[in-house]
Amino acid sequence: MKPELSACHELEALLPAYVERSLPAAEAERVAAHLLNCPNCQLQVTQLRALSDDLDTALPEVPRTALRANFMAMLEQQKALLIPEAASVAAPAQPEAKEAKIVSMWPTAVASNWLRIAASIVLVAAGVLLGRNLHWGRQGGDALAVDSKPAQVELAQSLHGATASNRIQLVTNSSKESEPGDPTVQVLLNTLNFDANPNVRLAACEALYRLREDPRVQEGLVHSLAIQTDPNVQITLIDMVVSMHVRRAVPQLEKLSKRPDALPVVRAQAEAGIGKLI
Amino acid sequence: MAAVRADDLDQLVPLFERYHGPLFNYLTRLTNDREISEDLTQTVFERILKYRSSYQATQPFKAWVYQMARNVHADHWQRQQKLRTADVEEVERTGGLRTAAFSHMQASGSHDDLHEALNLLPVPQREILVLNRFQGFGYEEIGKLLGCTAEAARVKAHRALQALRKIYFA
Repeated sequence: MKPELSACHELEALLPAYVERSLPAAEAERVAAHLLNCPNCQLQVTQLRALSDDLDTALPEVPRTALRANFMAMLEQQKALLIPEAASVAAPAQPEAKEAKIVSMWPTAVASNWLRIAASIVLVAAGVLLGRNLHWGRQGGDALAVDSKPAQVELAQSLHGATASNRIQLVTNSSKESEPGDPTVQVLLNTLNFDANPNVRLAACEALYRLREDPRVQEGLVHSLAIQTDPNVQITLIDMVVSMHVRRAVPQLEKLSKRPDALPVVRAQAEAGIGKLI
Repeated sequence: MAAVRADDLDQLVPLFERYHGPLFNYLTRLTNDREISEDLTQTVFERILKYRSSYQATQPFKAWVYQMARNVHADHWQRQQKLRTADVEEVERTGGLRTAAFSHMQASGSHDDLHEALNLLPVPQREILVLNRFQGFGYEEIGKLLGCTAEAARVKAHRALQALRKIYFA
């Protein structure tokens, strides 16, 4: 019995090679001879063959097309960096104040190279977004001033004076029926940034998350990261920019992760967020 | 790649087309997280561009790019470890406050038995099997990548296969 078992033990290491037929002839014969009277090792061989087949037929994981889009954006940016003229033409093409804010993050971002790359992707993405939405960007601004949508102005007005719980109610309901591009986003962003009550700000976060298709939401969230001091709001914002894959939030997260007045848990969350975004 | 090195960046596109799928697959098997793997794959190509001047025409591109992917994964892994040493309990408690709202964002991903078994293997063993079985690496190439001989790579791969068999048919 004993020599038998030790033979099995010794052959166990050879069986995978036997199954893939890479054993030298002499050893293969030895294994074959042993297999004839050893049901245990026969079972192993059967299992190894089945496993091999399963491995061979396993389907590969396929990435989303976003991966290609991100790559192309990065490549274009790198190409632009190679040609100084192209870069300087691209720069003035970003006229809006909103975009200027991103540019102003550059000095801190330059500190490390991956940040530079991340920022360059952001620039390209911002350029594309801007180009696509320039038309509407102006409209949105006008709409706020001219008050073409009384409902939103009503919301803004009723938010003044209301108690905190009423404000939460108002904010929560506000995003239910709105479409991307309507002024609700601006009202909600104002609430997020300036409401005195953290719970109302949290409700604004969630309402904004439902309107995340609107490009102003990402912009506003990144901006708000710098303003918020309540840990719950900070963590919610971090979660949101991470789940929405807002890469341009990385510089702000960096700052947040080093802010001495932030709770350790917030700093850790910010660092985790950076890890997921880069 | 020699053209990319000479700043003809468009030449990276065919390389991306050819390798991003396998690299994503490789990283997904290692991390078991599709979203992270997409980010890591992107990082690999960022590094290819960044370090393109260090590419030497004598070495195969495949070996070079997989070496880079391994490093990217190692960096990611270390970052995870560092985060884990932070006050886990507190992060979980506070982090969980609002994360429930975003739980649907998590990759659901299909987990059949084989992948579950693979995920139970230690990363080094899993990596060898993934390279050998999914990425079409020969033992010679694996040896070069892992810094051991082809024979040692073969032995490791066979051990890993036996280990996987025990988990798979347990």
